This record gives sequence, C-alpha cells and structure tokens, in this order.
Amino acid sequence: MRVEQITSHQIDRSKPLTFIFNNKKYKGFEGDTLASALIANDALLFARSFKYGRKRGLMAAGVEEPNALVSLEMGGRYTPNLKATEIPLYDGLSAKSATNPHSFDLRAFIKPLHRFMPAGFYYKTFIKQAVWAKVEDSLRALSGFSEAPTQEDVDVYDHVHHHAEVLIVGGGAAGMSAALEVLKNSDSERVILVDERARLGGELFNEFASDEAAAIWHEEGVADLCGFAKEQSDRFTMLTRATAYAWHDQNYVEVLETHATGENLSLTNGSQVRKTLHKIRAKKVILATGAHERPMLFEANDLTNIMLSQSVRRYLNEFGAVSGKKVVVYGNNDSIYQTAQDLHRCNISCTVIDVRSAGATNSIADKTRQGGIKVMQGYAIVKAHGSDKVDGIDVALAVRQGVSWEVIGESESLSCDLLATSGGFNPVVHLDCHTGAKATFDEVSQAFLPQKERPNRQTCGAVSGVGAWHDAVIDAKNKAQLTLQSLGVVSEVNNAELGENHSNYYNVGEFFTPAAIIERPKVFLDLQNDVTTLDVALSIREGYRSIEHIKRYTAMGFGTDQGKTGNINGIAVAAAILGKTMPEVGTTTFRPAYTGVDFGALAGRENGGLFDPQRYTTIHDSHVAKGAEFEVVGQWYRPWYYPKTGENIHQAVHRECLAARTSLGMMDASTLGKIDVQGPDAREFLSRVYTNAWMKLAPGSCRYGLMCNEKGMIIDDGVSTCIGDNHFIMTTTTGGAASVYSTLEMWLQTEWNHLDVHLNSVTDHYSTIAVVGPNARNLMKLLCQDVDFDRESFKFMQWRPGIVCGVSARIMRISFSGELAYEINVEANYGRYIWDQVATVGEKWNITPYGTESMHVLRAEKGYIIVGQDTDGSMTPADVNMNWIVANNKPFSFIGQRSFSIAALSAENRFQLIGLLTKDASVVIPEGAHIIDNGGKSVGYVTSSYFSPMLGRSIAMAQMQGGLSKVGETTIVKIVQEKQGLKEIPCEISSSVFYDINGERVDGND
Amino acid sequence: MFLIHCPYCNEEREQEEFSPAGEAFIARPEAPEDISDEAWADYVFYRTNHKGDHWEQWVHSNGCRKYFMVERSTITHEILKVAAFGADISE
Ligand SMILES: [Zn+2]
Repeated sequence: MRVEQITSHQIDRSKPLTFIFNNKKYKGFEGDTLASALIANDALLFARSFKYGRKRGLMAAGVEEPNALVSLEMGGRYTPNLKATEIPLYDGLSAKSATNPHSFDLRAFIKPLHRFMPAGFYYKTFIKQAVWAKVEDSLRALSGFSEAPTQEDVDVYDHVHHHAEVLIVGGGAAGMSAALEVLKNSDSERVILVDERARLGGELFNEFASDEAAAIWHEEGVADLCGFAKEQSDRFTMLTRATAYAWHDQNYVEVLETHATGENLSLTNGSQVRKTLHKIRAKKVILATGAHERPMLFEANDLTNIMLSQSVRRYLNEFGAVSGKKVVVYGNNDSIYQTAQDLHRCNISCTVIDVRSAGATNSIADKTRQGGIKVMQGYAIVKAHGSDKVDGIDVALAVRQGVSWEVIGESESLSCDLLATSGGFNPVVHLDCHTGAKATFDEVSQAFLPQKERPNRQTCGAVSGVGAWHDAVIDAKNKAQLTLQSLGVVSEVNNAELGENHSNYYNVGEFFTPAAIIERPKVFLDLQNDVTTLDVALSIREGYRSIEHIKRYTAMGFGTDQGKTGNINGIAVAAAILGKTMPEVGTTTFRPAYTGVDFGALAGRENGGLFDPQRYTTIHDSHVAKGAEFEVVGQWYRPWYYPKTGENIHQAVHRECLAARTSLGMMDASTLGKIDVQGPDAREFLSRVYTNAWMKLAPGSCRYGLMCNEKGMIIDDGVSTCIGDNHFIMTTTTGGAASVYSTLEMWLQTEWNHLDVHLNSVTDHYSTIAVVGPNARNLMKLLCQDVDFDRESFKFMQWRPGIVCGVSARIMRISFSGELAYEINVEANYGRYIWDQVATVGEKWNITPYGTESMHVLRAEKGYIIVGQDTDGSMTPADVNMNWIVANNKPFSFIGQRSFSIAALSAENRFQLIGLLTKDASVVIPEGAHIIDNGGKSVGYVTSSYFSPMLGRSIAMAQMQGGLSKVGETTIVKIVQEKQGLKEIPCEISSSVFYDINGERVDGND
Repeated sequence: MFLIHCPYCNEEREQEEFSPAGEAFIARPEAPEDISDEAWADYVFYRTNHKGDHWEQWVHSNGCRKYFMVERSTITHEILKVAAFGADISE
C-alpha cells in the first residue's frame, strides 16, 4: 500500500503511470521502481523458487534482490532476468516473472518430498539413470530464470573509453563526499563518479525523515556536483544508473550505464542507445560501494513479506510504499530501531525483537520504547508461519553462552503481516576482490572488510565498516585527501576525526547461528538457489571442508545473485558446524561480473555485418552473376559451388568435377595467402621454415613446401615461386595466412634478426585464376601469345611472365587437382576482367567455373591433404605419408627437424593418413565418423569424405592408428544416426591416393 | 587488460592491439641435432611459469607488427619495463 503522509523523495505523485505485470494492469508513479510500484499495489508474489517451487516475494530494494527476477517487454526488446528492484517504472511497461508464482508448479505438488532434495539431489538421482535424457528438458525449464530471448535485439549498444586520474565507485554519502573533496582540491585532474541508482545519495534518503542535516547536506552536495559537471565537464563525468561490474588489472574498470531498460528508445530523451559500456582507465580508484544488509536466520525465513529491514525502510521513505500493517522488526543491531521508528511515525504498528540482551543496547531501546513501540530484547525468532505470506512467528529466549548462542524455553507465537530483519551488514567488496584483494574478517563490525592496503585504491564509507552517514562523509574526505596526495596534488593530508565507535555497524551483535536454529529445515541462506543450512551441513558431512567446495556443492552464491545476501551467512553457518572462526573459514572468491551484463552491451557495435571483416575477391561480382553459393573461409567469401537452375549441391559438384577432369574448369584462387619474401637470405630463410630444400631452386621455378612447428607437427603448406635469386612469393593456406605470416615474422625478429630478409603480406595484391583440365594448354595458347606453352619448354612446377589479354601476368604451372593446370596471377584489380576473358574464350571447351567443394573432391581424389582438415596439429610429415618432402641433410636444422628423431614420433600406433573405400561404393561416410576395431574401440576417424564422380564411388581419407601398415585390410566405420542408433559401414583400408595414382595426367594429353 | 607501451610506436596502447608471444629469452639451441631429447624438450615445451617479475614477448599485432619484450609482475600484472630486442635491459 501507499502511505499518504510520506513526502517521497523519489516518486512524483502528479505523474501516474500504467504498467502490466504478469498479465495484470497496475498503476504507479514516475520515480517508482517496478518493485516499489508493486508493493504499493499489494502485488507481492514474484516467483517460484528454483528447487522447491516455493512462492517468493521481494526481499530487498536494490541490486541485492535475489527473488524478484523478471523478463521485460517482448520481441526484439525482450530482456530476461532483470531485478524488479532495478527497473525504473515507465508508462506502458510490461514485465513477467521469471517463474510464474500463480501457475501450477510441479515442485509445489511434490512438496512432501522436500526432505529428499538436498544438495546434489539432481546429480545423485539422475547421473546413473538412463532417464536423464528424458528429464533434462523439463528440469532445465525449472531453472528459476527467465526464458532465453528468441529474437534478435533491436537496439544499439555503445562502447566508450575513458581515461581519468580518479574514479569513484558509488554515489552515496561517501562517494559524493569523496568526489567533492577531490574536485574542490584539484584543478585539472579528471574525475569520474559512477552510481548504480538513478539519483545520487545511496541510502542517505532514509535519514531525511529523522535527520534534517542529512537532507540539507544531500541537497547541497548534489548541487555542487552538478555545478562541477556543468562548469568543468572536460574533467568531471557523472554517470548514474551505471554499475561498475568488473575491475581488471591496472585499474581498468568496466561500467555498464543504462539509458533505458525496456522503453522504446524514441520515447526517451533523445538517447539512441539502450546501454553504454564504459571502459575506464583510472590512475586511482576510490571505492564507496557501501554495504548490503544480511537477513537473520530462522525456519521458513523465505516466506513472502519477510524482507530486509533497511529495504523496508527504503520502500517507505523513498517511495511511500509498505507491504504490511502489522510489522515485526527483528535483528542484532541498532539499525532495526530506526526502521521501527520510521514505521511508527507513519502510524504503522510495529514490534522490535532484538536478539541482543538488554544490557548492550539500553539507550536506543529505551528511547524506542518511550516512543510507544513494543521492544523485546534477548529474544529470537525460531520459525515463521504462513502459506503464501508470513502471518506469524514463534519467538523464544536467546542467550549468549561464551562464544555461542543458545535458544531456551518454550516459544510463544506472535502474529504479523510483514517481518523486517537485519543480521548485520556485508561490505560490497566484490569489485575490490576482482583483482585479488583479500577481504579480512573484522570482529567489531562482524564483517569481511576490504583489504587494508591496496596500491592505487582507497575505500571509504560503509564498505570500510563506517555505517553512520556523517562519519562516512568525513572518512571519504580523508581518503580523497590521501588519493590527492598520492597523485602529488596536495602535499599534506588534513585528517579529520571520525565519531566514537564509528566502525561497529550500529553495535552489531555476533552471527546468530545456534544449533537450535540451523538444524531446522527450511532455514534458507541463498534464496535464489534454494540453499539451506541443512545443505551446508550435508556438504560438510560428506567431506567438504573448504568454503569454495561447499559453495560449489550447494550452489550457494551462484546465478545472478553472486552471494550478495546469502554468502556471508553461509560462511557463518559453516563456521558454526565446523567449530571454526569466521576468519578460519574465509570467504569465497569474488569474480566479475558483479551484476548481469547484456550480451548486446558486450558486443557493442561489433555486431551483425560489423562482427568480423568480410573479404571479397575482385572477381566476386562475376561469381554472384554466375549464381554461386558462397562459404566463408578465414573471412573470405569463396564460391562454394555454382548451381545451375534446379541443381542441388551434389549435382553441381558432380558436373563441375567432370568438367575439370574431362575438358576445362576454372576457379578463383585469389584467397590463398601470399607472402612476398625478399632479401639476400630469402633462400636460407625458406630452407629453415620448410622441411625441403630450396637452395637450388632456379628462378622460373616453383616448389611445394610443408611447414612444421618445432614440435615437428605440420602447420601449413603451399607453393613458393622463385621470382629471382633474392625474391620469392610464398603461398599459404587461405585460413592460415595471418598466423603463418606472424610466425615467420617472429623467427625473423626474435631469433634470426641477422638474416637479411623482408616479408610483406601481398594476399590482396594479386588475383589468381586457375584454369584446370586437359584443355588448359589449348586455352592458354589463345589467351597469351608471348609464352611458349609447349609441354617440354614450360614444365610442371615452372612459371613464366607473360601478357594475358593485354595484362601483365605471372603464369604458374601448378596443380591442386592433378590435372594439367595453370594459375594466372595479375594485379588484383584486373582480376575480374581476366576471369571474364577466360570464361569467354573458354566457352569453346565448355569451361566450367567450380568452387571450393569441387576443389576438395578433386584434391581428395589425388590424396592431397588440406592442412587443418586432414591434419590437426598433431600430425608429422611421416604421419601423412609425406616423408619424401623431408630433407634431413640440410646444413641448418630446419624448424621441427629435431623433433622427428624423438622416439614417440615414430611409434607404430601413431595416427596415420590412409584412404577408406566403402564396400558399398554408393555409401559416403560422414566426416568425423569413427573407425572401430574388433574390441569396439575407436582407432581413428574420417577427415575427408566425398563421392568421386570420376571414379563413380565414394572415397574417404582418415586418420587411423598404425593405418599405413594395414592397407588392404577390412575395417568397420561406425556412425551414429539420429533416432536410428549405430550404423556399421565395412570399408577397405587403402592408399589415400585414389585417382591417377602414377601422376600421368598433370602433363595433359597432347 | 593491460595498457602496454610499444617501444617502436612509442605509445601506450590497449592490450587488444597486442598478442602475447611467450616467455622471453628462450633461445633456439645452436645445434639441435647435437643435443639430448631432454634438452630439446626443455626448449620446446618447458617454461618457468615464474611467480613474480617475468620477462615475456609481446607483438604489436594490430599495430606496427613488431615483437618486443615486456617485464611484468605475474602477481600484480604491473608492467615494469618494455624493451626492443637488442636493447639494454640491465637497468
Ligand atoms: Zn607498435
């Protein structure tokens, strides 16, 4: 309900808004969050819990909320798993619970089985059962999170880089104070202040009703900061609705700023982007991240309308919203009295239950009593009642005995409709710990405080244990002074004194974890993951001791929650069960991201067409005109096949292959990597990086080379052309061009900087058109008159300069198909002209363009490997039956040579390249299928497999253990077929060369 | 997420412009065929994985494409020195 007498600091009652939640229409005000508006409408049920399907409501008012996950909007603006507490209300907002609390829920139906669902339940139940595949889908649907989006995000996200001298994270009293102190005492230092909420002030708004000074300080502070932001905008940036979610090395902080959650961007103040990811490099960081309240523990502490005390207070003071009329405030520190007084001031009936005995807390308790509020000191809540919602509690006496608590006596019942609890405060150390800081347990504040000293960072305010706002303001000024001093801006630091007992978090008592409480069922620690005290106890019984292991076994602190409310209580429970102290148990590791980050924001503008460079050859338009289908190879769009009307890929490839083998084919080979190698030591360099000999290769000749790494494994192959004694053009695989170039540079720059060799990537400088087939020579004679194409004068593996259709060209006689073939290299921009000329002149022989698929079939027929397909980084030249290319007698021990003599590389059971011929010639084995031996074990797998039009049968290449010694034997290849189980394909092991075994076709037939 | 000073470009640039290229001072043996399998394996596979100040190679892959050396603390990830190959790194 809405409390009318509250002067709300957030909502504007003159601006009503309408919104939809779980298909129902509600009204709220501008300034509301979705959560506060729903409280005002008494719509309290938000979710079904993850494991048990228990109904849950709001627990908190901010980023720490574990239950109220919703999805926002639909279609291209659908966003899953947002916290209702962090969604500012806008007109027309439409949201849906991640898990519908009103629908029938299987888990609620099996409620009596709860005790059978401890930590590891699903794992233990299903891992050995054949039913896993059947239940997996329905279990995953119960994950507790929203459905994943199905449509593309329609909005735009930006990345912005910043550099600053000082970054202040957190815009509460401490952060505001620190920013002002830095700004007022410096002239040119760049300052950035970020805060996750829409308005600066943090928890300070809570104090306005009871402390006029807070309201005045806040008003002046905001005015001053806005003044700086306006007048010194070149050095001061203020980001609100911006969460610093990750702190990386060297003070690199990532901040996600939300301009709009679900609104149509045309309705927001001109912003064209939904969210901006700020990448901030700061010399110094001041953390003013505050603290999260932790709940008290008791049975059924997860019932709807059991909330955190300071959150109840915040809904009341900031939004004038409260979800009960008869409130119990329960806790172990003085802050609960403030909540009670604020409620009482609004004529809401409330009772304070303080677990601490009367002695410690007399003055504030007495003052509260005098105000007319019932106060019970030394009492504990052992259990909450209620079905959908809390309707009462059982309380009993609590006594501190030495170092532990006990609950004694009979319990008595009290009724209530809202229960607010406070078990102390957890400093938000997440960000600080991202780069390795260790939080240390502090007895006085009963909290893990940030590591004392860290280079280039200060902490101030509640994150440092300083709870009261006026102390936080002073603390922040002191830390700002220290920051300025470390920047050399001020020479002396004026340290102001803080108030007495400033770091005891409202006289917080010890963790209340008596056995009488934590041995009960349904004492929830982590509400998002449904982890109870019994789960922690079980994990310890099963042998887990480290808190990191307990966390993983129970899933405590997983999900979007990241342990904000539950983890520290979990540590306290583990400590109680293990009989250890809090520091002995320690914390788990905090890792980025602190809150969820949209994929869209991470991608920024590098999305869709800008995700990766798209490379096209200069011939591309001719391929498109010819109706080519394309495939992407290392960013290049290569023609895959050229279907004629009505043809499928198989028919097209069949036609293309036969054309190349029987008459004439042509293909665009421009994408092969090309590296220009020049210098007096170019030959020596090639000799070092390739396995074969290069010293005697004459200008006018070409040579195929195989490149290995130092481990002796094949990494690339290609033909290099000798242009002159000091000049070669190396070609690499299309996909390997960049990495080969980089590797070659590494050798030249790091090991061999005495070699006079220079490399230049010239891949894009030349277009390469391959003409392939028995009529290739006839065609070349028509295209180029100044070269003698006679088979004896222009031999295989030679090149000649010539004029092709008026264009200066390098013509290489090389072949990747085994057929007579020439590759015409021209300056790139002549590529399409030459291609079209070749196509026209070649019509005489029905010249047929072919793509990568036919190229693969043609090369496989000849047993030519594709590095990266038939090899995988663990294959030596010997493994692929290419020892003929290894020259072991070169003076310089080439890259990888030494590894060949290691015994393991000549072991008999190494995977070796073989061919497979299926007994049924029409069966084409799927690539990746496994070869199975008599014992049923996998001994290899198929790397390339095609139907060969020329041979009229299927052919396959495979890696098989000891395969080269098994040629001629029969083996079985097994494949898994969808819904049909295993299929066995009998094959004969063969050589990997299937066609033209003696290599007679390369000279042509004239 | 480092800021790295390229000694060739003489500018501090984002890490995303660079690629790491392994530990520095791993010299290729002069006569690989004359050394033991163990010595060769030590060169090919074994690295110190040092905890503390550590010299490593980086390449300005999306910049000048030059390889250079960086001394970095593997504990704090602070970059202590950068040096071109052949530069005096003694101080
Ligand atoms: Zn550079």
